[in-house]
Amino acid sequence: MTENNFSLKKIEISVSEAEKRTGRNAMNMQETYTAYLIETRSVENIDGQSVLTDSLWRRYSEFELLRNYLLVYYPHIVVPPLPEKRAEFVWHKLSADNMDPDFVERRRIGLENFLLRVSSHPILCRDKIFYLFLTQEGNWKETVNETGFQLKADSRLKALNATFRVKNPDKRFTDLKHYSDELQSIISHLLRVRARVADRLYGVYKVHGNYGRVFSEWSAIEKEMGDGLQSAGHHMDVYASSIDDILEDEEHYADQLKEYLFYTEALRAVCRKHELMQYDLEMAAQDLASKKQQCEELATGTVRTFSLKGMTTKLFGQETPEQREARIKVLEEQISEGEQYLKSKNLEGREFLKNAWADIERFKEQKNHDLKEALISYAVMQISMCKKGIQVWTNAKECFSKM
Amino acid sequence: MSGGPPKALQSTGPHSLRDMPHPLAGSSSEEAVGGDSTPSPDLLMTRSFGDKDLILPNGGTPADTSSPASSSSLLNRLQLDDDIDGETRDLFVTVDDPKKHVCTMETYITYRITTKSTRVEFDLPEYSVRRRYQDFDWLRNKLEESQPTHLIPPLPEKFVVKGVVDRFSEEFVETRRKALDKFLKRITDHPVLSFNEHLSVFLTAKDLNVYKKQGMALLTRVGESVKHVTGGYKLRSRPLEFAAIGEYLDTFALKLGTIDRIAQRIIKEEIEYLVELREYGPVYSTWSALEGELTEPLEGVSACIGNCSTALEELTDDMTEDFLPVLREYILYSDSMKSVLKKRDQVQAEYEAKLEAVALRKEDRPKVPADVEKCQDRMECFNADLKADMERWQNNKRQDFRQLLMGMADKNIQYYEKCLMAWESIIPLLQEKPDAK
Repeated sequence: MTENNFSLKKIEISVSEAEKRTGRNAMNMQETYTAYLIETRSVENIDGQSVLTDSLWRRYSEFELLRNYLLVYYPHIVVPPLPEKRAEFVWHKLSADNMDPDFVERRRIGLENFLLRVSSHPILCRDKIFYLFLTQEGNWKETVNETGFQLKADSRLKALNATFRVKNPDKRFTDLKHYSDELQSIISHLLRVRARVADRLYGVYKVHGNYGRVFSEWSAIEKEMGDGLQSAGHHMDVYASSIDDILEDEEHYADQLKEYLFYTEALRAVCRKHELMQYDLEMAAQDLASKKQQCEELATGTVRTFSLKGMTTKLFGQETPEQREARIKVLEEQISEGEQYLKSKNLEGREFLKNAWADIERFKEQKNHDLKEALISYAVMQISMCKKGIQVWTNAKECFSKM
Repeated sequence: MSGGPPKALQSTGPHSLRDMPHPLAGSSSEEAVGGDSTPSPDLLMTRSFGDKDLILPNGGTPADTSSPASSSSLLNRLQLDDDIDGETRDLFVTVDDPKKHVCTMETYITYRITTKSTRVEFDLPEYSVRRRYQDFDWLRNKLEESQPTHLIPPLPEKFVVKGVVDRFSEEFVETRRKALDKFLKRITDHPVLSFNEHLSVFLTAKDLNVYKKQGMALLTRVGESVKHVTGGYKLRSRPLEFAAIGEYLDTFALKLGTIDRIAQRIIKEEIEYLVELREYGPVYSTWSALEGELTEPLEGVSACIGNCSTALEELTDDMTEDFLPVLREYILYSDSMKSVLKKRDQVQAEYEAKLEAVALRKEDRPKVPADVEKCQDRMECFNADLKADMERWQNNKRQDFRQLLMGMADKNIQYYEKCLMAWESIIPLLQEKPDAK
């Protein structure tokens, strides 16, 4: 559902706050959830100043509703993913609890990122429902449901794993599906190992804190060595506590990877849509071919292929010429309809391929750019960590030299 | 050859003139460390070569020695090399060149001991012999027997748990070699121990086993007498300074034990971190094979993580080989020192008991019988030797730990520098623009 009289020309969207709420759910049971404040500012072209135009609260489930709607109405678009529903790939320090403030904060950022992705997409940004999501707090859910998008949804799309024997899928899409499967597997693996790496690194740093205490105790019985030991111990404490910030920064990197992990699902959905369209097309073509065959056989009187009619005819006798004429006529009508249907489906299919592939190219560029940026910022984080390490140990060394 | 005890009231063996103040010059601990002590008659002569009289080759002020109160000899002050304790070395010993020997009954390692000396005790200026751990153990026992009033440095641990440590691995042998080298250097640095007869034989004899069998026990007078001190005497009151040493050693050993545990724990955590890194890096490589434009950046990250892993492995190896053994040595050292302290207590207790017994007997007063005098003599020698050794030990300990801990800091700095270099070098690779299509 798009309306051309609406266009998001230069707006700024931010998910600025998160708040705990309690309410009653569909089953009238008390529940606690988090609501997020979405603020929209429009940027005046002339002076670049932004004016707050809308602000409303949404919860995660409403974001999900929006996304599901977009998936149905834009099957040829790689729809941006939402941040994870539950905390996965946690290492021991992070809570897997949805109410945990760190999780909520990272979710807030993820939701903001989602909205920014949608609003910067050349096609999605024009969607009316998206616009209303940002501007119409009450009644929005009803409005979405009124579009009847759930009915439009092809249930087969959900069953991403079921195989359909498609004879001639577009090779680019087969390759793309393979790529997304591989990418999903690799990024999952990467995130799992990274979490373990973070866990171990945490342990290494924290144990060094023990040096602080024991050096202090030791320095108490020493004369000349005492001062050096004591101050070195302090640096060990600094070292131990530095890991918390380091790992928090690394979580941002993990979140960037996660976004692309979830993007693989969106990619797969587009490939799936193509598969289903192609399947329907092939089924329709097959059906048409078989009807044409039947028609031909009836007209010429030869039975080239086995048919039930042929069998019964042999067993119970032939039908009258009038009956045969009638049947031929029905078939000819069906064939005509079928040819029309096939033609339009073919067109649809080609349109889909063209539009989908265009968005996939756009996505690829976006992905290459984003992941490169992510790797650069990761390297920068590592460099910063190394520099801090050198600093601390140099300080400690100096203290030791004064022993 | 070392002669018999030169004078009454001096400790075993010839001392270098720089040694501690006269044993009877009072027991205040300050004398050992700081200010001017009353010079003994023997040392008065050399006192004239005081700090102010000497002209040093570098024109600077004389460096601190570990016993500043000592009336130093001329030899002392002419510092031609930067010795820790200012002694002019005339005995140099090195342990190196480990070799494996495979015999029918056993397999073992020998080490080459090279000795260079200008001392008259040695017939030749240079010796080179081969010794195994057993021989070191023998030497240490002999030293403990013959010099019971001194602190004998520790040996690296004798037994290793089979299956956990490979006795013939390069790392183990090298660690042991360093420890044995340190052991000998500590002994040859010692003004008394370095003149010990058993040490000379150890350093020079072609076949040590022959000597061992002869069982020559060269015990000095004090050594002999201390050996025969029976236990069972109750100590009245321990002099403050020895009580303080005892307490110090207790706490010291405790803290070292804690540090050892912490260091081991860190190494363990680092190894587990390394295991994860070794899985982490290659995933980027796998990913890079899947991509087009991102191939090089991802491969670069993979290689980078690989480099960091290697650096980490070097760090853990270094810590295991260089840091932990030295800590453990010092724990062993303080254990053996505690037992020397106990012996001292026994000697004092015996003296006190005998003195008390005399005090009760009326007929010997006022003259003190000879055997009680001997006890007193024994005790005071012991106290003097121990004090001197403690001071030397404290100073060496400070140097050793300073070096050890600075070394630990250094290793960590090097690790981070290697990682820093790796990550900095891939930034340009990551920022590279793809070729225009």
